[in-house]
Amino acid sequence: MPLDAIPILAVPQGLHSDERSGNAPALLREIAEMLRRFLANGETSAIDLHALPLTPADLEWLREQLGGGEIAITLNAEGESSLNETACPGVWWVTHRNPNGAVDSEFIEVADVPDLVKAHHEDVVIGLDHLELLISDLSKQRAF
Amino acid sequence: MQGPLIEILARQGITRRTFMKYCATLASLMALPPSAGRAMAEAMAAAGVATKRPSVIWLPFQECTGCTESITRSHSPTLESLIFDVVSLDYQETLMAAAGHQAEEALHNAMKAGGYLLIVDGSIPLGLDGAYSCIAGRSNLELLKEAASGAAAIVAMGSCAAFGGLPHAKPNPTGAVSVSDVVKDKPIVNIPGCPPIPVVITGVLAHFLTFGSLPELDKHGRPKAFYGETIHDRCYRRPFYDQGKFAKTFDDEGARNGWCLFELGCKGPVTYNACATVKWNGGTSWPVESGHGCLGCSEPDFWDAGGFYKALSTPANPLKMASAAVAAGAVAGVAVSFANRGKKRAAASAHETTTLADLEK
Amino acid sequence: MNELQFLTWVRGTGLNVAVGVFLLGVFWRLIEIYGLGRKKDLSAPRHVAGASGWHTIFRRSIPAQGMLKKSPVGYIGGFAFHIGLAIVVLLFAPHIKLIQSLTGLSWPGLPSQFIDLVAVVTLAAMVVVLADRINKPVKRFLSTFEDWFTWAVTFLPLLTGWLSVRHLLFPYSTMLALHILSVEILLIVLPFTKLFHAFTVFGSRWYNGAVNGHKGVAV
Repeated sequence: MPLDAIPILAVPQGLHSDERSGNAPALLREIAEMLRRFLANGETSAIDLHALPLTPADLEWLREQLGGGEIAITLNAEGESSLNETACPGVWWVTHRNPNGAVDSEFIEVADVPDLVKAHHEDVVIGLDHLELLISDLSKQRAF
Repeated sequence: MQGPLIEILARQGITRRTFMKYCATLASLMALPPSAGRAMAEAMAAAGVATKRPSVIWLPFQECTGCTESITRSHSPTLESLIFDVVSLDYQETLMAAAGHQAEEALHNAMKAGGYLLIVDGSIPLGLDGAYSCIAGRSNLELLKEAASGAAAIVAMGSCAAFGGLPHAKPNPTGAVSVSDVVKDKPIVNIPGCPPIPVVITGVLAHFLTFGSLPELDKHGRPKAFYGETIHDRCYRRPFYDQGKFAKTFDDEGARNGWCLFELGCKGPVTYNACATVKWNGGTSWPVESGHGCLGCSEPDFWDAGGFYKALSTPANPLKMASAAVAAGAVAGVAVSFANRGKKRAAASAHETTTLADLEK
Repeated sequence: MNELQFLTWVRGTGLNVAVGVFLLGVFWRLIEIYGLGRKKDLSAPRHVAGASGWHTIFRRSIPAQGMLKKSPVGYIGGFAFHIGLAIVVLLFAPHIKLIQSLTGLSWPGLPSQFIDLVAVVTLAAMVVVLADRINKPVKRFLSTFEDWFTWAVTFLPLLTGWLSVRHLLFPYSTMLALHILSVEILLIVLPFTKLFHAFTVFGSRWYNGAVNGHKGVAV
């Protein structure tokens, strides 16, 4: 039975969610401060958007203000995550979704690139091993 | 960040990034700062590297194994149960391969070392000297006292261990009690729920591994991060409650429109748990979303809370003693009336008539 | 004891006991009072025109001449809080639903905003009446513990009920439990204090009026 055949309406999260709480503008100042610190000493930082009393309308407003940047990264790891640069370089909007597509957590990160994007050296080693294996396979094939 | 845990996960098809993403979400759920996500990931990965992994003993008492099922068969079981790869789970009857004397020996070795984390699911029966539930011929009470004495902290998993749960329900034939009724001198964290939400279990263990301490608890020993607000306060149907729109039966107009289930006995207003935000089965749904009121399973004595389908505001059964009370009242009234009449008669018969002669005296 | 256990107790065991004591007390007191009987009347009845008993029931609710000016707080405050209490108890929709669930009887209620207003007026009237009792030396002199106590047990259900409807002070469910608890105290206290006038006031007025008529006192 498909979900929409069940006659119980899943009411969109929060009927009052079309109102703005007024908490979002303060976040812009905080992000600016985070950027200043990042420029001064390279300190990266993040804001957990679910830890703050923000309505969906607030998030929408914030997203509009920050705008879209040049880079949009999609990570497929137990559900899709999007790590998108905003119009302010260095400010990233990170959304983690579960395999059902529901938002698990949402962050604003200030960094060159979000931590999660960087390849880990352990993984690079595994990748290199894999590549060397491929190359040796190739050379074996040539030998034949 | 590296270690056997990452390798174990990689073998199960879980990438490093998936793990980090999971930890970030876990930290967010526990209302910890974003940096804690990374700290947790590193601590858990490092715990696998350490020569001695934190020892965990899991004792099942009077229980149904639903709590173990909840964590091991959750939506992404490998992630929720990754915690078992981080710790040295020295004794868990359902999960361990060993049996009989070997299992008991593992338990004793772990206990000898001390400083372990003790997880308990199930209540402890005190009736008949604890004979209702025994493992290897020893009562649960005896086992718990012994295991608790060397534990660094105790996690009471599920409503039975936390509050006595279903076995504790009236008339409680086995004399079941909670862990905190037995153990008084150790830090205890209660993770109630029937069963508890998997991520709550992982979250508490991750917190313990990362920071070496238990998370902040409420007055019932529950982690505030997950049990800080009522179901009702975070319920997506709350606006209907505020508008006074209630489903009256499970198949009426209101039920179809997804109105508030308060009048159908929802215990959301008095139940502290994270179902409304974390949901179940990987965020698919939760009881209220699927059209049934909250049973209040993470609260003490939820089983005896006046009926699952009776609204919280209506009395359970106030006229239970009515006829007896009326009869007793009537009997008392009649008895007092007779006593009064008797008194009156006595006064009348004691009354001396005044004669003319008396007045002339 | 947590919220759920507290609420479970007040709407379960607590209410059972309170309703039991209430019914026991009411039947006891009524049977006792009516079982007292009357003295044999040896005089010839001096009939006066009109239904003296019924008239008295009504007339005693009207202030005697000049009394309204002498004791305005007593009369106006008294009226306000008695009528207000009746409206809140009998015409508030959740109360009607409760009565319906117990007895099957129901009647239309009033809008909750109006009930809210009435509750506030009633609370204010009760406070004013209490202040008057404290301020007037004679009233204070005549007051016993029972007077203060019965005022409190009447005031508390009204206050807690209003607070729970307005979602003030405590979470709704806790406030509701306190409201039910305060009603239980009232139920237990009512049959054994002067609050029993809720059952006897009209009967005793009728009796006095009828006896007076019998003695030839004009209504």
